[in-house]
Amino acid sequence: MKIKSFALIAAVTAAGFLSAQSANAADEWGIEYEEKARVEAKVVDLLCEVTGDCVEQCGAGTRQLGLLLDDGTLVPAVKNFDPFAGTTDDLIQFCGKRIVADGLMIKDPLMPMFVVQFRRLAPDGEWGRANNFTKNWAKSNPDKPANQWFRHDAEVLRLVETQGVYGIPGLKAEE
Amino acid sequence: MAHRVNKNGMRFNPTQLRKLLGAGLLSLSLVLFATIQPTNAATAQRVQVTGEIIDTWCYVTEIMFSEGTAHHQCAVWCALGGIPVSILGKDGKVYMVLRVEGDDNSVANPTIVEIQSHEVTVDGDLYERDGVNYLIVNKVADDKGVINMTHEDYGIQPFGE
Repeated sequence: MKIKSFALIAAVTAAGFLSAQSANAADEWGIEYEEKARVEAKVVDLLCEVTGDCVEQCGAGTRQLGLLLDDGTLVPAVKNFDPFAGTTDDLIQFCGKRIVADGLMIKDPLMPMFVVQFRRLAPDGEWGRANNFTKNWAKSNPDKPANQWFRHDAEVLRLVETQGVYGIPGLKAEE
Repeated sequence: MAHRVNKNGMRFNPTQLRKLLGAGLLSLSLVLFATIQPTNAATAQRVQVTGEIIDTWCYVTEIMFSEGTAHHQCAVWCALGGIPVSILGKDGKVYMVLRVEGDDNSVANPTIVEIQSHEVTVDGDLYERDGVNYLIVNKVADDKGVINMTHEDYGIQPFGE
């Protein structure tokens, strides 16, 4: 497995911290196989689309979502613009609807995926930054810094406390 | 037997009428149901997969080292952030988990978050579509816990703390 430079990691993470970008066009993140892409697609519940097990409102935020392109290709929408966060909060309002998604199409041989950086209702809805995860987290945690949500989230802190940073209770990180 | 006559002059007895009404209701139900049906559901293949529970994003993009103890904390962050969780199979394939033991919640599912980085063996149904391996986990047959000790070589990914 190839490992990218730490500079790349920092760049991708830092992108999630940006809050005042005006242009509704995708940023390149320097990821292998990435292509800047603006696609019009239907937002679908992946479990429903793949297996036929469908529920109302795409599971109302409990199921992973994907983009169904016009040629029938299904692409999982794996990542939004926030650090360490997925796309459900950004796409659930568009369940079953067509959107324009602006971001990165990653055509990795392991599996293709889409990074949603902006999205709007097709064909000409209002653009919105795909950063609803931290917005929603901030509403639930008004006294904590949302851009560092992963350092302050109560469930993260509980798991690190009980499992340790390595996932093995009692195995501590060296100072 | 009494018959009803429709506007075209066709005659229906009560039994035929009930069948027609039933068929109409069925058709209406199918139309409503179709609004939340998939367009191209794939066919399942029964599989057993052994591998490590990983964060899909970090592993596939290779933006950092993303296996074992070194990446455990980050894998917890990503799972709680709602990024899909996968199993990195011993065959090198990535299997994106969409359901675990009847639980359809695949967004920050507490059960899956608790076993991030564990090596597991699962029985499930595999759906392959457009280059993605989607896995329905019917049963977690074995859970060895976190056994991939990578932190000595890679520290704590990605920030070192």
